[in-house]
Amino acid sequence: MGKRGEVTSSAPSKLAEIFIELLVPPACREEVIGDLHERYTTRQRYFLDAVSVVPLVILSRIRRVADPQALLMEAMVLYLSFTAGAWFQDRTFLHQEIAFLRSAIPAVIVVFASVVEDAYSTSGRRQMTKLFRGPLLGIGAAYLSQTVLSLGSGALALPRWGMLYGSGLGLLFASILRIGFPPIVDRPLGAGGPAF
Amino acid sequence: MATSDSLGQFEQLVLTAILALREDAYGVTIHSKVEELTGRRSVSLGAVYVTLDRLEDKGLISSWLSDPTAERGGRAKRCYTLEALGERALQESAATARRIWDVIAEVWGKDWAREWGKRWGREAR
Repeated sequence: MGKRGEVTSSAPSKLAEIFIELLVPPACREEVIGDLHERYTTRQRYFLDAVSVVPLVILSRIRRVADPQALLMEAMVLYLSFTAGAWFQDRTFLHQEIAFLRSAIPAVIVVFASVVEDAYSTSGRRQMTKLFRGPLLGIGAAYLSQTVLSLGSGALALPRWGMLYGSGLGLLFASILRIGFPPIVDRPLGAGGPAF
Repeated sequence: MATSDSLGQFEQLVLTAILALREDAYGVTIHSKVEELTGRRSVSLGAVYVTLDRLEDKGLISSWLSDPTAERGGRAKRCYTLEALGERALQESAATARRIWDVIAEVWGKDWAREWGKRWGREAR
């Protein structure tokens, strides 16, 4: 028993560890959770350690797996896909106010989701499904964001069918791009160029 | 190719910590050593991880996972060691620091250099 009858232990609670384990990318999970466990003295210190470590570890992992050039290409392809999809449904779309911003929102969400998915995926054998998982999750997130945007005035949301066409095109082109430019960890050592 | 020109001060500290710790260089010990090297200033453990990742990407250090231990809740340590490129970068950094020291001592005088030398000696003890 510690001060004021507080129960003290020499290890963090299992629940806290599981929670942090979920937040830390698998590639560095083992050492980060182990180091936090070793440094454990009090619950407060463990919490402060975790708060200072987890965001930086995630950002560092994203920096390691993301290729800025490939991401820029993916963002461009998705942006054009969503714009083309909306234009295909409504030919006056491009003349509307903030039309380009409306196309940019789902594109940015898909790219962001892809990057996060890459950071949390385990490196190793290159699988085709792994390459599509990021854009697929991203499109799911983009649909969710469109639903939220539609709940308001709907001014920032893309037309429903335009979003559908854009998603199809975006998924196709983003997946092709990812086959050529997979995440850095999935590339063969010394490879910097496309994997065609 | 990485050179000492691309090494920041924090990177130099982390490399020095790895050099000093030899086989026992992993997250927790590197963090403690870096705090010691900075003069007991508080350093974020997260910043150490980020720097270790960056140094590994530059090819200055390499890492491997050790066996899991009970004191770490059955988790393994990621141990780090200096690569030849890292040793060279650290040597160049030390040489640069030495040159800076020589110029400062020349301008501010030998008494100043002697006094600082004593102060550092006391701090090191």
